Amino acid sequence: MDENWGYVVAGYAVTVATLSAYGAWLWQRLRRARRGVGD
Amino acid sequence: MSTRLKLLGAAAAASLLSLAVLALVVAPEDARQGDAQRLMYVHVPAAWLAYLAFFVTAVASALWLWKRTRSTTWDLLAGSSAEIGVVFTALALVLGSLWGRPTWGTWWEWDARVTTTAVLFFLYLGYLALRRTGATAEARGTRCAVAALIAFLDVPVVHFSVTWWETLHQDATVLNRELDVKMEGFWMPFTLVWSVVAFTLLYAFLVTLRLRLAELEEGREASDLERAIAERVRAGDPVPVGGS
Repeated sequence: MDENWGYVVAGYAVTVATLSAYGAWLWQRLRRARRGVGD
Repeated sequence: MSTRLKLLGAAAAASLLSLAVLALVVAPEDARQGDAQRLMYVHVPAAWLAYLAFFVTAVASALWLWKRTRSTTWDLLAGSSAEIGVVFTALALVLGSLWGRPTWGTWWEWDARVTTTAVLFFLYLGYLALRRTGATAEARGTRCAVAALIAFLDVPVVHFSVTWWETLHQDATVLNRELDVKMEGFWMPFTLVWSVVAFTLLYAFLVTLRLRLAELEEGREASDLERAIAERVRAGDPVPVGGS
């Protein structure tokens, strides 16, 4: 294991955080839009 | 959510989890770059998926512009795919920067590949802003389709920048001129290919969700407009015709 693991961990954390945040934001908007259609 | 979409989501999640194991545990350390090379298993698919997303946007935009195939779905698909492409482009830039620090010794370099990718990011950010400008669906679709086709011209420039100019960024590892995969052993190239598969499944899942959302929002806007017109007609107000 070399000293670059910090960059690797940061990179994978950024990837997981970005994709999860985008997915959750999309999901929430979709639920709100579906509720709106049901109004 | 339909069963097919649930299956797609499950396949994307499973392939991403297996990618994490392959990239962080199974694939060996690179002889020259050390463990920093593991960032390639997320940086490369993020960049490729940005290309794919913008390609889908360009095709959907062309189908919108062609009168015989014009459908609101193409316009909404173009916008949905572009939004996801912007997310992947941002990710590719950040991951490239994190890889560049230990490998190049700098967070950022005004290298041809990096610069044209940054231009690509801002072009499509502008495209997304253009989609939010007030206009009829028809006018918005045409305006954005033209902008998407112009913005797409930057994609081949990004891809070939490493061969057209002297760059710090390395040449393509897989799709280079000699089609010679510059990776050794089995697990490194396999993990790279697997990363593209996993990200493509994720893209397919996200774009389906985003398109569904766009259709619901578009339907909501149309029904709000119809309701407003009906209210004005009931009240005896004249309804303006034309304009934006």
